[in-house]
Amino acid sequence: MVKVDNEKCDQCGTCVSVCPTSALMFIQEPVIDQKTCIGCGKCIKVCPFSALSSLK
Amino acid sequence: MSEFDIIIAGAGPAGSMAAISASKAGRKVCLLERKAEVGVPVRCGEGIGRRGLLDHIDPKPEWISNTIKKAVMVSPSGIRIELRGTSEDFILDREKMDSDLVKEAINSGVSYFAETPVTSVKKNGELYECITPKKTFSSRILILADGVESRLARFLGWDTTLALSDVETCAFARVVSPLIEKNACIFFTGTRVAPGGYAWVFPRAVGEANVGLGISGNNSEPGKAKQYLERFIESEFPGARISNLHCGGVPVARYIRPLVKDGAMLVGDAARQVNSLSGAGLAYSLYAGKLAGKTAADAINGNTVNYKHLKTYEKNWHKKFGKQQLRSYSLKKFVEKYGDDSFLDRIAQSLSKEDPSKLNYLKVFTRTFSGHPLLLIKAIKLFR
Repeated sequence: MVKVDNEKCDQCGTCVSVCPTSALMFIQEPVIDQKTCIGCGKCIKVCPFSALSSLK
Repeated sequence: MSEFDIIIAGAGPAGSMAAISASKAGRKVCLLERKAEVGVPVRCGEGIGRRGLLDHIDPKPEWISNTIKKAVMVSPSGIRIELRGTSEDFILDREKMDSDLVKEAINSGVSYFAETPVTSVKKNGELYECITPKKTFSSRILILADGVESRLARFLGWDTTLALSDVETCAFARVVSPLIEKNACIFFTGTRVAPGGYAWVFPRAVGEANVGLGISGNNSEPGKAKQYLERFIESEFPGARISNLHCGGVPVARYIRPLVKDGAMLVGDAARQVNSLSGAGLAYSLYAGKLAGKTAADAINGNTVNYKHLKTYEKNWHKKFGKQQLRSYSLKKFVEKYGDDSFLDRIAQSLSKEDPSKLNYLKVFTRTFSGHPLLLIKAIKLFR
């Protein structure tokens, strides 16, 4: 489970490119489908602005 | 529901070029863009080789902010190699260029929809349907140009997910400092600066440059690209004024095969049409976009909307740039494996004895791969 900090997010899409289950997308703001997210953490790792973190 | 001959999702350079060429060939074309304004923020270093631009487009003078004839490569331990034998590089104004390309698309008859994110795609009989929060758009041919995310292709059965080692996580900014020279593009390598990537300084004007860096996804940690960039700017240009700090991802993977499925085609970053070694993708995108748009329009004009016809896009792309792109990927893999700091320093050491007026990018790469005949051939062919 992942959460996004909209203040930090620059909407670059790097997270989406590495997400193995397409749980992330951008509409006007980033949206994470928590049902699809498998918590692999790849998006968190590649975010250049550390806008993503794990939701505990 | 709005029906078109061809829908293009994403109005970056690849998408806009596809829209322009399909519309000029007489088809009813729709271009969908998620953002309110294309080209903002600029997610690009804005550097491109002379031929990479001029072979594919007739640029407006205002798209080019600077023309540069010299490159400098800085090794991990700080050895500076001057390359004075390079052909010209341009520093672009992508904000102007991208928005002008969309204007050209509109002027050539394309229906353009900004702030229209495609949330999903599906095939319904003969037609592709693009679902957006506003309405559904449908077409016989669909060109996906949704950038590094390449999310839409996944609805049609492509696996476009990037491995961590196949993405560069980047941060870049506009930097103003009296220490910036106007006449040289500078590349910095080394683990301290950019692990698994490099940092660049691309001057736009006297005392003003695009400065950025990319880190391999493998080596990334949350926020690392930004931290490394801020540290790099502080060490190279202390006291500089920093603005427009943004980030981005660059796919450094093999281009996606197949590029065509039924009536759907991938172009640009979405197709991973990026040189894996340099991270440059604009020239590939301009060419692929134009080609895909034309191929799609011809298929409808000739009533041959089928895989066999659309596949000619993939064949022609492969001949022109695809082979080169695949070579760049194997060279990247080699550098990833063997190109540690001491390796890069040794090459810099040996190049430092050469006459700078005879040095160019090709020379640097042939030296890098000189002990490896197969890779050497690939490196040479990269520049053809």
